[in-house]
Amino acid sequence: MRIVVAYQWACDPQEALVSSDGKIDFSRAKPTISDYDAVAIEMGCHLAEATGAELIGISAGGEAVATAIATKAALARGLHEVFVVSDPGLDSAGTLATAVTLKAAIDNLGDVGLLLTGDSSLDSGSKTLVAVLAGLLGWPCVTDVMKVTMDGDSLTIERTIPEGIQGLHLHGPVLVGVTSDAVKAKVPGMKDVLSAGKKPARVVSLLDLGVRLPGEGEILSVEKMAGPSRQQIRINTEDPAQAAAELVSALRAAGALDA
Amino acid sequence: MFGLTDEQELIRSSVREFSEAEVAPLAAEIDRDHRPPLETIPKLAELGLLGILIPEQYGGTEMDSVSYCVVIEELSRCCATTGVMVEAHSSLCTWPIVHFGTEEHKQRYLPDLASGVKMGAFGLTEPGAGSDAGALATTARRDGDEFVLNGQKVFITGGGYSEVFIVFARSTEAPGTKGISAFIVDRDTPGFTIGEGERKLGIRGSSTPPLMFSDVRIPATNLLGREGQGFEIAMATLDGGRTGIAAQAVGIAQGAFEAAIDYAQQRVQFGKPLAALQAIQWMIADMATSIDAGRLLVYQAADLEDRGIPHGIAAAQAKLFCGEMASAVAGKAIQIHGGNGYTEAYPVERAYRDAKITEIYEGTSEIQRLVIGRSFLR
Amino acid sequence: MKTYILVANDPGVGGLVEQAATWGQPVVAVVVGSKDLTQVAACPGVDEVIWLGDPGNHGIEAFASSVAAIVADDPGVVLAGRRPSERVFLGTVAASIMAPIITGVQSVSFNNETVVIKHGIYGGIAVATTQFEGPIAMQIDGGAPVVGGGTAVIETRSATPTTITVTSLTPPEVASVDLDTASRVVGVGRGLKRSEDLGLVEALATRLNAEIGCSRPLSEGLDWLPRDRYIGVSGAHIAPDLYIMIGISGQLQHVSGCRASKVIVSINNDKDALVTQDSDYILTGDLYALVPALSAALEKS
Repeated sequence: MRIVVAYQWACDPQEALVSSDGKIDFSRAKPTISDYDAVAIEMGCHLAEATGAELIGISAGGEAVATAIATKAALARGLHEVFVVSDPGLDSAGTLATAVTLKAAIDNLGDVGLLLTGDSSLDSGSKTLVAVLAGLLGWPCVTDVMKVTMDGDSLTIERTIPEGIQGLHLHGPVLVGVTSDAVKAKVPGMKDVLSAGKKPARVVSLLDLGVRLPGEGEILSVEKMAGPSRQQIRINTEDPAQAAAELVSALRAAGALDA
Repeated sequence: MFGLTDEQELIRSSVREFSEAEVAPLAAEIDRDHRPPLETIPKLAELGLLGILIPEQYGGTEMDSVSYCVVIEELSRCCATTGVMVEAHSSLCTWPIVHFGTEEHKQRYLPDLASGVKMGAFGLTEPGAGSDAGALATTARRDGDEFVLNGQKVFITGGGYSEVFIVFARSTEAPGTKGISAFIVDRDTPGFTIGEGERKLGIRGSSTPPLMFSDVRIPATNLLGREGQGFEIAMATLDGGRTGIAAQAVGIAQGAFEAAIDYAQQRVQFGKPLAALQAIQWMIADMATSIDAGRLLVYQAADLEDRGIPHGIAAAQAKLFCGEMASAVAGKAIQIHGGNGYTEAYPVERAYRDAKITEIYEGTSEIQRLVIGRSFLR
Repeated sequence: MKTYILVANDPGVGGLVEQAATWGQPVVAVVVGSKDLTQVAACPGVDEVIWLGDPGNHGIEAFASSVAAIVADDPGVVLAGRRPSERVFLGTVAASIMAPIITGVQSVSFNNETVVIKHGIYGGIAVATTQFEGPIAMQIDGGAPVVGGGTAVIETRSATPTTITVTSLTPPEVASVDLDTASRVVGVGRGLKRSEDLGLVEALATRLNAEIGCSRPLSEGLDWLPRDRYIGVSGAHIAPDLYIMIGISGQLQHVSGCRASKVIVSINNDKDALVTQDSDYILTGDLYALVPALSAALEKS
């Protein structure tokens, strides 16, 4: 039985430079394994150890995701092997295209009992990929998960919802979105780093898997994000009591303190 | 070599992640309290950072020298004390056992040193023998199947918590350095006492007590290498130590440099951030260039060592340059911080205090200059 | 094309109904939840309610594929909120109709066969204007609870839930809060030196009758506040009348969660912190002096 972890190799958008004409420059950013997915990999390691399952990482993206540094970074975190779909066509893939690609990878792998992934994409923060992938596979999906135990294809899960901590029981195969604080992702130790390069890393293209990417709309233009323009009124704070009084009357005048 | 391998880059990012999470939060406190971060030892061991120079068959992680330097730099970037804690244990204790120890020595000591169960230290320096190490006066008198040690050592890094000590003592009448032998001494040997750690200007968390030997009896089998080979062992050990300390210096400089950049970008005077001023831009440029130059000297020495090519001069150059560079960069970092940099609220004053020792220990800058100069003018 | 609103056991879909109303398309609410929920979902702006039955002790997500089957029958524009079950519904439906998912929606305009949407990309650092043909799935802040009162026909359809069974529910020690609907919020960030100092912020929040939120480090990592208090790109998206930011630097990940606030006040000791660009009123100084002063001033008035 295989436990699969879908991980992302991407840059943090905070490090991108957006020019006033909407050009987004990621050249000064360095891609990393998303912190959210590192947590999912750690959970996968615990489960693989407990069940004896194979732990396989999958990822989809442009050139960068198939580089040695990317695959080794993933393997160093405890995956037994990685399976990567790398293709220029995936450079700007959104949630739907990425999910379609990962589905093909999972079909290709076979014998998958559980898929784990972090709860957010590093670069879009949308938190929907796991559900789209579940829909394509026809498998149940649960998110905000803190704890998973497996017994064959029987899974016991604990997850947080607004009403509290919910205990669930499911039959696999299943997709699970793991919360960012479910477990603490271990820092890869020296032995893990040095042995990463010896573990298998399989790279395929979209053509190899027979994937045709779905359309995700046509981008007409991109602009820098501008929030509503703010007044930026500075209140003199030499005398805190006076500053407070001034702020209160300004807020009252603006109607912000109406009950 | 002009670039790090993938593994070395991953080692850097791992040790950086670890250092920022576990090492940096303690740095100011251990400096203020002059206390070694003993709680970090098991965490370092878990990551494999205490067995870097120990072969795998003895429980070590055995990495190449360049990787080792990356580790020391990254630890020191967050805390110079933690950096030297690992460097002294590795370069000054585990290394000589690996290179000069018998199989019995290796089996007995290396697994515990790799796992952090025991830490290691190096006892060469004496009150009357610093740069002039050959003038050491501690004696080791042969008595049947034992040696009896008498004398004292000073400024022994890690002495306060180490269990395994490489101690250099005069065991024969041969004059000068030829009579010196190296010994492995366990902490709890009767007659062996460890004093209070010195209160220092910098690396205040580093334990540096004196060691006193009063008729300390050790088995003759604890002789490391041959009788009379001690000075050679000490010098060979310090060659490797030079590169490690140079890496520590680079880490200290890097940490101070990053703090200076942050400050320059946030601090506003005369209506704009300091970063907009040419004077500051030039200081940052000089700092960046000298740090990169130092790092390359460290990698060069480490790379030569990895390829089995004599690296003594390269190591001396790396230590000479990086020690003085770290002091200069830390000083400029304080200057950029202005008055704020002079207070404990900002980390650069600690970097300034920590940097100075890298010009002194494991071979002063003056000794490095002698070594380098003489190599050209034989 | 129809507009579908996915209701996953929570009536907080007022924002979705509001959006859908602006498009002039028939609006269908697909509901998983109690019978009462279908009544409130039948609110003005909703033309049809399809009920997949009471979930019993099935997990809500167990109905995702049944919801998807309904939409797949007659694909259209699909809307859902940002709560966990709502996201799973949206994703599963999107998969069944091959619809791209759009988040951070700023504006939507329908022209004949295409839809042009302005939406945030890369976590909100930029805005793209994208043209779509065919079905699309949009994730939008759910908004206030709906309260029925419309004329929609409620139709029950059978569902085949997957094997997700609820075995327990442990209420949280601290009641959870929905910052998305709070009308006043006080946010605190890394400028606060110790968790003990939260008392200062709590006092101000009490005076203002405001909820407390925070930047991500305080609820993850530092753990000074529960996770549902975190305001940011993947946390709460607030739109209060008043948002006071204390000791927050104004990084994008936080600001993208509070841009919709009507009035923003920032208290920060750095005159040029990023946060000043997103503030209506800027107080530069020591929060340990200014926050108590503000509490006192509010008490007086």
